[in-house]
Amino acid sequence: MTARPRPRPTSEIETIPLLGVIAGLALAALPLAPRLAAWVLPLFLACAGARLWMNRPGARLPSLPVKIFLFALGIGGVGLTYGSMLGIDPGLSTLLVLVSLKLIEANGERDFHVLALLGYFLALCDLFFYQDLLASIYVAAIVGLITATLVRFHRGAGPRSYWRATIFALTLLAQTLPIVILLFLIFPRAYGGFRFHFSQSLLGVAGMSERLSPGSVSSLALSDEIVFRAEFPDGNMPPLSTMYWRGGVLWRGDGLRWEARSDLNLERRPGQLTGPAVLQRISVLPHGARWMFALDRPSSDVPRASYQPGGYLQSRRTITTKFRYDVVSRPTNRETALPPDQRVAASQPPREISPRVRALVDGWKKEAAEPREIADSALQFFRRERFSYTLSPGSYPDDNALDHFLFDRREGFCEHYAAAFASLMRIAGIPARVIIGYHGGEYNALGKYVIVRQADAHAWCEVWIKDSGWQRVDPTEMIAPERIASGLASYLESRATQFDPDAPERSLTATGWRQLQRELQRDLRLVWDGINYQWDSRVLNFDEDTQRNFLLSLGLGAESWAELLIWVIVAIAPFLAGLALWLRHAKSIARDEIARAYERFCRTLERAGLRREPWEGPQHFGARAAAHFAPQADPIREITARYIELRYGRGASDAAAFAQAVRHLPKLGGYERNMK
Amino acid sequence: MAARSSPSRIWILPNRRTPGLVAVLVGMWYAGASQGNAAAYLLCFLILAVTLVSTIHAWANLRGLTLRAGNIPAVFAGEELAVPVDIESVGGKTHFGLEVRARSGKSTATKATLDSPASQRIELRLPALRRGLFSELPVRLSSAFPLGFITARRNLVLRQSFYVYPAPTGGLPLPRALAPTRQPNSGTRVTGDDYGGVRSWQTGESQRHIDWKAAARDQPLLTKQWTGEAEEILHFDWASLAPLEPEARLSQLTRWVILAERGSAAYGMRLAGKTFPPARGHAHYHACLRALAEFSDPAVADVV
Repeated sequence: MTARPRPRPTSEIETIPLLGVIAGLALAALPLAPRLAAWVLPLFLACAGARLWMNRPGARLPSLPVKIFLFALGIGGVGLTYGSMLGIDPGLSTLLVLVSLKLIEANGERDFHVLALLGYFLALCDLFFYQDLLASIYVAAIVGLITATLVRFHRGAGPRSYWRATIFALTLLAQTLPIVILLFLIFPRAYGGFRFHFSQSLLGVAGMSERLSPGSVSSLALSDEIVFRAEFPDGNMPPLSTMYWRGGVLWRGDGLRWEARSDLNLERRPGQLTGPAVLQRISVLPHGARWMFALDRPSSDVPRASYQPGGYLQSRRTITTKFRYDVVSRPTNRETALPPDQRVAASQPPREISPRVRALVDGWKKEAAEPREIADSALQFFRRERFSYTLSPGSYPDDNALDHFLFDRREGFCEHYAAAFASLMRIAGIPARVIIGYHGGEYNALGKYVIVRQADAHAWCEVWIKDSGWQRVDPTEMIAPERIASGLASYLESRATQFDPDAPERSLTATGWRQLQRELQRDLRLVWDGINYQWDSRVLNFDEDTQRNFLLSLGLGAESWAELLIWVIVAIAPFLAGLALWLRHAKSIARDEIARAYERFCRTLERAGLRREPWEGPQHFGARAAAHFAPQADPIREITARYIELRYGRGASDAAAFAQAVRHLPKLGGYERNMK
Repeated sequence: MAARSSPSRIWILPNRRTPGLVAVLVGMWYAGASQGNAAAYLLCFLILAVTLVSTIHAWANLRGLTLRAGNIPAVFAGEELAVPVDIESVGGKTHFGLEVRARSGKSTATKATLDSPASQRIELRLPALRRGLFSELPVRLSSAFPLGFITARRNLVLRQSFYVYPAPTGGLPLPRALAPTRQPNSGTRVTGDDYGGVRSWQTGESQRHIDWKAAARDQPLLTKQWTGEAEEILHFDWASLAPLEPEARLSQLTRWVILAERGSAAYGMRLAGKTFPPARGHAHYHACLRALAEFSDPAVADVV
């Protein structure tokens, strides 16, 4: 006797729900594409297509050896692509390979639910890579689609079943909203202590680095990615052009290259700061580093942040999720004593000083003795000589870049000017340092906050003036004053029109129309950003601290998490009970008018003593009723005929006429009475 | 005949897909907590809340339903009972993904969706394990609608009497009649030597005796009848099988009745306290089998 191989199973999942769940998975997988090995998404789509192809009549699912082969191929492929299975990208690729394999072998009810759950899980993964409102809406849509598909699966086929299932799923989701809000507000949040934490940001944001080299800021200049948003809760907002958002201080300088150093003694608090206090509420988007920003110069303590030498804030932890903090800044520095280690660090001249540079600085020193005057001479030099401010300054050689920049090329972006100026000051013997951060931003009048983007990245200098402390000097202001006054975007725009040879020939209306279009676009963008910001600050920033404050305001602050869980249940129970009560009395949505009218007809007859048997069709019942209630036989026959026509015929009869016929059914006389 | 099932409690229970959902929820919670990602929390709470709300809908999906069993054809023990079940919506609502199973033993059931105000008939198939006359059938009505991660379940009792005849086993040969009888035949039978006219066919009668020529002429189905003399009369006696176990005796009697009905002889049966005079035909055949199904040995009280 030879053992026959077991026949491969045929598909047991209906095509339409299968299509729905595949669409949900694909939508959830698509945004992950940049983090996946290039071949993973095509593999997924191929598996999806193959699985749909297997749903044709008579087709069979893949056999076990094929599945094992595909599994080995997929896992091996990930291993080969990344050289390791550990880490976020290989992990995601593996996940998607497994989803693809599950998809191709999925059969039956249980597998269908596994696919739906995988869809939910992939949607969760999206939320780690995209964190704005649009991403949240996108994920909500995926959840809606998968839920509707699950309902459709259990509903079975039928006329417009998917559509009805979608309506049902949306109703279901709407009914959950109160519970979701309650859970979000009360469900006890965890306080840290997790071993596993993404060590880097998943968001792939290019941002500031701890080094300043030619090109490091200008590379960001065209990115409109948002770095942070700042509100001024007191309403005390300085003008945009004076907003210098301090991000970091670079102490180690060599010509045009500057970098941070961490060997300086920590400052406990910034020194004497005076001037009006400006309170800011800053929401930083995750950038994967420890940068924190505040207006020049932060003067208050910020939780989970430390002060760094040079008076800037640094987060104690890598910022991988949205983070909001309040900080008070004061604009004027009145420090008088410079710590010795900082003085040494800020006086280190460049290693290489060319004779031309040495002669230039010596010239300034001969003319003036005061550091302030020397600084002025340097600024005058930048203004007088034909320096140009450009986004594409080209590259400078590593050797003697300062000399090349100052005397030959004379083209640069703000980082060139800040670096060159600070180097010149150090050569002149004046302590100087480079500050990196952002300048200005875009004011959203709708939400009353400032949006700061990567394009606002900036670098400027501080020089130590005896008796007045560190003073800000921004050489860019000398070269391109409009850049400081109105921001980079409009600066570039005005220069573009200036050099546009066609500009005068354009008709006035065309420019006017363009202008209008641009303004409209800008307004719409600001409205969208406003909504986005509200979502961010109200919802996504609701973390364990905000929750604690909220619970305190409810008088639940002292409860343990177990007690809180009981509160959650207590709060949710009435919603579920109310829903149950409502469903108990609610009429079905799917019940149509015709069915209702016919049901009324049956009830009337039943009250008169004639019951429709469960097995009885309308025709048989109608005939029986007509015989039973002989005087009303005609209306009964009419109602039955209309009902059959509406239900099973071509619908030639009128639904309203049918309902009316039912309403006007005469009082039914009993058979016995007629016999008298 | 068909009686309504009594209203009963609806249970919301986890099923084999629930652990998967719980795993995904825990994963979402962990992701939200460890990364401080509020959006992940929100998604976790959304799925959790949808599951909670779906339990209420699952409960409502099983409310307002009445189940009745139709006539259940008798079968022999060991065969499969086919139970027609009419599901009817009382409130006129729509019900989805309904599944009916017998509470004991493995049974299969087709899924049913009930659109108002119709009732739907499904067939429940379950193995008939024991012989007897049963007056009710405990069933379980369940549905995983709307999402499938939890199941709503309701235990019901279908009130409908049905017979399960004893399993026809036993290898003893048919007992021969002690003396061939030469009595004149008392009437017409379906088997015999001489053609004796036709009568209308009744459900359950052998198709071999249908007058197919008449049927081809568009007449109603007729059974051909025959007159003649029986060659022998068989007597089946409970007492004659004394060495066997009571159930084995019943099975042997059942087998004999079947064999005799297939043959041409008239047969009679004597059970403790009950006697069936020799006869043939549908009614006689089933009367014997019913008696065998219901039989309880007065000598052995605990035999069921």
